[in-house]
Amino acid sequence: MIRLQGVSKTVTSGDRPLTILHSTDLFIPSGQFVAVMGPSGSGKSTLLGLIAGLDAPTTGTIEIDGIDITTLGEDDLAKLRGEAIGFVFQFFHLIPSLTAYENVLVPMEIARRRDAPRRAAERLAEIGLEARGHHYPSQLSGGEQQRVAIARALSNDPPILLADEPTGNLDAANGRHIMELLGAIHARGVTLVLATHDVELAASADVRLAMRDGRILNAEFAEPRRRQWSS
Amino acid sequence: MVFVAKMALRELRASWKRLLFFFACIAIGVASIVSLRSLTQNVRVAITGQAKALTAADIVISSNRPFSSDALAKIEQRLREYSVTERTNAVQTDTMVRPATGGRAVARMVEVRGVEPAFPFYGTVVLQSGGTYAHALLQNRGLLVRPELLAQLGLKVGDALILGGAPYTIRDVVLVEPGRRLGGFSFGPPVLMDRADLLKSGLLSTFGRGRYEIMLRVPERSVAPLLGRLRRDFRDFPVGARSYRTNEDNLSEDLMRAENYLSLIGLVIVVLGGIGVSSVIRVFVQQKLKAVAVLKCVGGTNPQILAIYLAQVIALGLAGSAVGVGLAGVVVAWAPAFVGNLPPGTVEIQYELTAAAVLQGLGIGVLVSLLFSLVPLLQVRHVKPSLLLRETSVARRRDWLEIAVIALVVSALAGLAIWQAASMRVGLAVTAGFIGVTIVLHLTGRLLVRTVRPLARSRWFPLRHAVLRVGRPGNQTRAILLAVGLGSFFMIGVRLLQTNLLDSFNVQVREDGPDMFLIDIQQDQVDGVVALFTSTTPSLPPPRPIPVLRARVAGVRGREVNMESYQEVRGRGSLGREYVITYRPTLEDNETLVEGDFWSATNDGQPQVSIEVGIHERFRIMVGDIMRFEVVGRTIEARVASIRRVNWRDPRRGGFMFVFRPGTFEQAPHAYIAPAKGPDDPSVRGRLQHDLVARYPNVSVIDVSEILETVRKVVRGVTLAISVVGAIVLFSGILILVGSVSMTKFQKVYEAAIFKTLGASTRSIAGMIVLEYGALGLLAGAVGSIGALALSWTVSRFALDIPWEPSPIVNLAGIAITGMLVCGIGVTSSLDVLRRKPLATLRAE
Repeated sequence: MIRLQGVSKTVTSGDRPLTILHSTDLFIPSGQFVAVMGPSGSGKSTLLGLIAGLDAPTTGTIEIDGIDITTLGEDDLAKLRGEAIGFVFQFFHLIPSLTAYENVLVPMEIARRRDAPRRAAERLAEIGLEARGHHYPSQLSGGEQQRVAIARALSNDPPILLADEPTGNLDAANGRHIMELLGAIHARGVTLVLATHDVELAASADVRLAMRDGRILNAEFAEPRRRQWSS
Repeated sequence: MVFVAKMALRELRASWKRLLFFFACIAIGVASIVSLRSLTQNVRVAITGQAKALTAADIVISSNRPFSSDALAKIEQRLREYSVTERTNAVQTDTMVRPATGGRAVARMVEVRGVEPAFPFYGTVVLQSGGTYAHALLQNRGLLVRPELLAQLGLKVGDALILGGAPYTIRDVVLVEPGRRLGGFSFGPPVLMDRADLLKSGLLSTFGRGRYEIMLRVPERSVAPLLGRLRRDFRDFPVGARSYRTNEDNLSEDLMRAENYLSLIGLVIVVLGGIGVSSVIRVFVQQKLKAVAVLKCVGGTNPQILAIYLAQVIALGLAGSAVGVGLAGVVVAWAPAFVGNLPPGTVEIQYELTAAAVLQGLGIGVLVSLLFSLVPLLQVRHVKPSLLLRETSVARRRDWLEIAVIALVVSALAGLAIWQAASMRVGLAVTAGFIGVTIVLHLTGRLLVRTVRPLARSRWFPLRHAVLRVGRPGNQTRAILLAVGLGSFFMIGVRLLQTNLLDSFNVQVREDGPDMFLIDIQQDQVDGVVALFTSTTPSLPPPRPIPVLRARVAGVRGREVNMESYQEVRGRGSLGREYVITYRPTLEDNETLVEGDFWSATNDGQPQVSIEVGIHERFRIMVGDIMRFEVVGRTIEARVASIRRVNWRDPRRGGFMFVFRPGTFEQAPHAYIAPAKGPDDPSVRGRLQHDLVARYPNVSVIDVSEILETVRKVVRGVTLAISVVGAIVLFSGILILVGSVSMTKFQKVYEAAIFKTLGASTRSIAGMIVLEYGALGLLAGAVGSIGALALSWTVSRFALDIPWEPSPIVNLAGIAITGMLVCGIGVTSSLDVLRRKPLATLRAE
């Protein structure tokens, strides 16, 4: 469950304050698939970053499964992310000095999971890259890097997955592949929040939020619930 | 913990190449510390292990004149009290020797030592023939000599040598002789002979300079009490007593001091390496910002991430230190080839790495790596994971933790310096010096950026962008200024010191100035000696003999000081020693009057003395004070009539601390010395010395050209040592420079690619790089150069006590060379920035 109350974000641009997210209230029940849509600079990434605790809001509170994360310190936030929130970036952000396998392994090691090596291998198998585990990010294609990034985001079985334009940097075929993966993950009951400006990708979401200039303009609910991509 | 270790290992796999400079910086510093400390410890162990052999006895009582019957009675009494039964006498003097027949027609000054059958109580006389030493070798006019004397005179074992006018046979060559003073200055190689022969030779007449010794073998428990007793007994006499422990202590102390100073130099090199480490880590962290953000995004906490990078630093520090220890092993193995053994007849030294030095090296290497990485690594705390969403620069903020860590690092470094120098004062001074230079270089960096800023509006593209580069965020201006500035500071400082040191040794031998000193000429020999000289070298001015007597100050009654007895005078240090005095009516050319009047030639009763300004300054003795002297068994009171300044650099007329008014000593028995200008032709010169010694065996000739050669050898050794240290410092500086330049290359490659895409030619980009590094180099050189002036002045004035003169050429050359070096290295390591095709670079980004 994700709950935002009066959340806003103001940054300093040059010498002037610039509000990139205006006061927002939002409730996302567990297991829901929410697509956040809007053009570049509309505040999608900011919203996802705030939910993940990657950034602190200027005002308001953010609750993840009943915990107000705005009261947590940096290290507690990191811990929460490690256990409860997976994040997929548009630019993958794999650690270049680690192999694909090690990139998937790291969050489990941080969480001190004993079965980390086995699970990391399983995660790689799930995304079809079991044979490429020893390759470094620079030796993988963009689609492969993004699949590794998804495997990394899911390595600790987080109940929430946030994906910021995960296909924005990929060609159509690779983009489809990634969306199929995300669909399968949502089908397991994971809460999925996807930022995108691709209408087609957003079509399968339970809720579609339209954003512009740092504001949620409207919310559109899909009736009845469709699982278009899992079929 | 396991995760931290695993992550550190994984990261190292990729980053070790980039951190290679880190590695090298630490390795060189540790190698310096370990090798310098090991070498001095080797020498110390050898010397302290053989302390008794170096003294040849437990206690040695010595005097510069024959022991009086009173003194001997006292000594006998004490020996009975402490039941000492084993004693032997020895006597030492300097004299001239020449081959009897054959060999070369030359004469050499030697240091003769006459011993008795019981010599030595400890240690062994090692002979070249391999035979065993026995006193029988010396009896019936036998000599044991050093190999270098045989070489100088062209003689071999079995040949005869004339000493004090009589022939002696060379029975063997001595390699190690117990009881020789270590490191003392001597006028010639040592020669061992029978004491009875030496006493009979006439060399120890009233004017001959001898050193009389009574050597004792004493039960261990009595050494300290007997020594204390003897010292108290002879407080009022010019008689000294020392034990093997005094020797051991003095040597140990000297060597300990040497070890500590050398270690401090090692530490300076390590700290320079540390600065390199710091700048490498700073850039490394800049390159790792995204990886840090990712780790934070997947649950990594600040302590975990800091630990990952600290573990890498420790691993690299340890590996670098280990390589340093390996390098030190090579240096120490090669040392004997360069250092050789200690001078004549001393000790065997085992050259090896010592465990203590290795442990210290490893400890210091890791500690310095850690200390210098800590502050730049703290930056990872400020990395926000939101960096992955938005390109934001990581704000450089100072917080309390960082300030506390900086304070901790500075105090830890001060602690290290104090420990290495084994002196609070020296350690703190070095730390303060470092901090001072760092602050100056830091401020200079800022000033530079501010001063050149207007040039950013220049119409010339390369200049405009070079200026922008110097001042851009995350630039290496300060790191390069610091590293190179410190490097040039040391190099130029060392050069300046060397110039001053050489200058002060470089006693001017003028064309017309004397280059030979004849000493111990007796009154009835003066005319003969002068005649011999003028007949051999008729074209040169004849030597002018100067009367000399030996005297010691027995008391002073003055305005500011009052010393009643010799005991009190002795308590004032060097005033208690024996002085050579003279008398004459006028000032010499190399003297100027500071205060008072130099007398007229006539005597009107009371003896008067003129003192050198050094005596006046050191002991506060004024014009009008009454000084009491003991001269040839008489006590004389003289009024201080004037204070003179002697120009010690102009030795034509010699230099005397005390000059008396004529009329007091003419009738007393005294000897003469005569500075003379000898012939330039070495064979004529050798022949003259030979003839002189043949006719007047008691006269000694000190050949200034030979002494100067010895001094030059010493200076060459010192210069070599300083230059080696300077070269290592410079090398560290270059390493840091190469490191800083190549660490920022990734940024430059990218910028150059964009410039090229926008139409900039390779030439303009090269121009930009030349201007940027040229300016940095010149500035670093200038700051280092000014610092070097201060350093050389301070060291000359306070540590070496030599006159200081600026040498602008060294400074200017230093600035120019630093500028060219930095420019050259900057351009060379940026070559592929110029060569690389822009598209590949932009795609990789």
